[in-house]
Amino acid sequence: MNFRVLWAFAKKELGQTLRDPRMRTMLFLAPVIQLTLFGLALHNETRNIQLAVYAPPSDTLSWEIAHRAEGGGWFHLVTPASRDPFMALQAGQADAALVAPPGGLTMWVKRGHGDEQLLVDGTNTVRAAGIQSYLDSIRLAVIKERVLPPGTEQPPRIRLVERVLYNPTLESKNFMVPGVLVMLLLMGSLTITSTSISREKEGGTFETLMASPISPATILLGKSLPFMAVGFVSMHIALFAAVFLFDVPFRGTFVDLWIASIAFLLCSVSLGVLVSTQAKNQQQAMMGTFLFMYPAQMLSGITYPLDNMPKWLYTLTYLNPLRYFAILVRNILLKGGSPELFWPNVGGLLILGVCLMGLAWSRFKPTMN
Amino acid sequence: MDDHSPGIFERLATRTEGIFDLVLPRRAAALARKEARHIVRDPYTLGMNLLLPLMMLLLFGFAISFEPKDLAVAVLDQDHSQASAKVVEAVQGSGFFKIQASHGDPEKDVESERVKATLVIPAGFQKSVGRGEDPQIQVMLDGSDNAAASVVEGYLGGVVNSAWSRLQVERGQPAPLEPLEFKTRYLFNPEQDGHWFIVPGLLVIILGLLCVLMTALTVAKEWEQGSMELLLSTPIRPMDIILGKVAPYVGLGLFDVAIVYVAARVVFHVPFEGSHLLFMLGSFLFLLVALSQGLLISVGTRNQQVAFQLSMMLAMLPTMLLSGFIFPIESMPLFFRIFTAVLPPRWFMTIVRGLFLKGSGLGQLAVPFTVLALMAVLLTGLAIRNFKTDVEP
Repeated sequence: MNFRVLWAFAKKELGQTLRDPRMRTMLFLAPVIQLTLFGLALHNETRNIQLAVYAPPSDTLSWEIAHRAEGGGWFHLVTPASRDPFMALQAGQADAALVAPPGGLTMWVKRGHGDEQLLVDGTNTVRAAGIQSYLDSIRLAVIKERVLPPGTEQPPRIRLVERVLYNPTLESKNFMVPGVLVMLLLMGSLTITSTSISREKEGGTFETLMASPISPATILLGKSLPFMAVGFVSMHIALFAAVFLFDVPFRGTFVDLWIASIAFLLCSVSLGVLVSTQAKNQQQAMMGTFLFMYPAQMLSGITYPLDNMPKWLYTLTYLNPLRYFAILVRNILLKGGSPELFWPNVGGLLILGVCLMGLAWSRFKPTMN
Repeated sequence: MDDHSPGIFERLATRTEGIFDLVLPRRAAALARKEARHIVRDPYTLGMNLLLPLMMLLLFGFAISFEPKDLAVAVLDQDHSQASAKVVEAVQGSGFFKIQASHGDPEKDVESERVKATLVIPAGFQKSVGRGEDPQIQVMLDGSDNAAASVVEGYLGGVVNSAWSRLQVERGQPAPLEPLEFKTRYLFNPEQDGHWFIVPGLLVIILGLLCVLMTALTVAKEWEQGSMELLLSTPIRPMDIILGKVAPYVGLGLFDVAIVYVAARVVFHVPFEGSHLLFMLGSFLFLLVALSQGLLISVGTRNQQVAFQLSMMLAMLPTMLLSGFIFPIESMPLFFRIFTAVLPPRWFMTIVRGLFLKGSGLGQLAVPFTVLALMAVLLTGLAIRNFKTDVEP
């Protein structure tokens, strides 16, 4: 292989991709937009809950619960237009409603036992569970401080002494941002590789390439190396923004991150080549890429938990390079890269990468002859 | 494509393409027929349009679940007593957790990612139970997956303490009566079935993604290959080009609406409480908006690669992330809550969920419908105007 030719070829590819100002903007805008979204906008915690209270003003206990909820910061008290709690929830004027028993909760509790009705908008099941558990912890605090007369022994309870490792405030950005880095590296390398080869096919310039004295391996490398670099650079832009703007910890080493990235790029670029050998034109290449990328992302653990999946599907995720890489990046960023996790996952990526590369090469070579 | 023998979809398309003649002007109908054949002949386009909705239904319906189940938890029992065994048994029996043996170091257990949390029952646990003190259990949580950590935290507390009450009863102590109880009722989804939450929302995702992407690509392709100039040199008018290009995708979009609706009702048993007329109106408005967005992207880029990237950014990201599909809009900071108002999928999401689950009427959905209708008028107008000025010499 002639490295001078490869260099020239790669330089031409890079120039061609980056020449289009819109493409340029896109490649650098994508990391910024995704990071802003995941760093600032998207939280998987339950926040800003609109709570309506249906209790007489004299019912001090119900209002105590409501004010504590508001004071905790997650709830806003609202007064819906509707007198009927069901209608208020249906119209979206409230997410939850506390409905006191007739006569007020305070009176019932004084007699020994009171039931407060808690209506929760169950449309979003995750949010509903969050609302319920927040209010329940407030209920326990209210019992302890207001209901039981001072001095009485509370029935003993098991106390859970908790210690949260790696992300003590349980912020979702620390979970999400590593996933964004993974997606950025994938998008850059896979999409552009596959479309750039199929663009040559579509434009008829692929024949010209074949007729030139450049060897197939050089063409393949020349087509893939520049886009690996593009993905690599945009991942680093995102990484710096994540660490410096969004305070995501980076506890591992760059060496670990680079080894993992290179092993992953091996897979994603081979996949890009594979897709392009199957596609006749750019449109097909893009759709092929998308049809791979979408489920791969969903089955990687980046946004949705893997543990809940059915067994057969969980087994299938071992074939997904994104899965290994997502575990690796998260581990390197948040936990500093534990060796017992690092090598098995890098190994998984390398095995997959070599297989995919062999497959891509065996498909790519015949198109050259 | 001359060596091509018509497959089932192609035959289906040739049967049904007569419909274009009924609803479109003659030239536009001819173009629409051509476009429809392009779609069914290209395995990728067809795959994208049929496979993607099915794939999403399968993945979200069967693979991805938000209910906690089998969360891996390690237990380090340093007490080896009856009381500690009872607690472990309760955690195991709750159905939420899968117990793994600890390797001895609770922090290492969590670090190796075998488990989401480690419970450490310290020596002397049973003794402190006997003395009537508040016994302690230490929990080491993996915070890197914050959602899982808070779920584990919440469920463990409940499970451990109900085990505790049972233990007390067995020891002859009366179970403490809670003086104040919450009777929680989940409206609109009483069983808290995750499918009811996800599947109707998929309609927004599928339409929002496919319609934008497909229109953007198909028009950008004509430009890039130079066949747009060819089309323009024929007597066909710009308006006919738009109608002919977009009509097959309206058909596909309506087809997707039907697929998701049937799957939701029949496979996932999601109720439909609202009016079907409103549902059709909403879907149609959203379809118009999505197709216009695609047209605008293609006019602006004239290049497939850029059109694809732009569609991903303008269609995929907002529909997946900012529509309230998974991440609730209410939890976002104020700026983003206001910002989502300009995104059509956010409004269609409210309509779809309102109609499927809440049984909302036009009165309650007045705002989303008005906004969507305004967007439809504005975007179709803009798309047609831009396209026309773009193609006219």
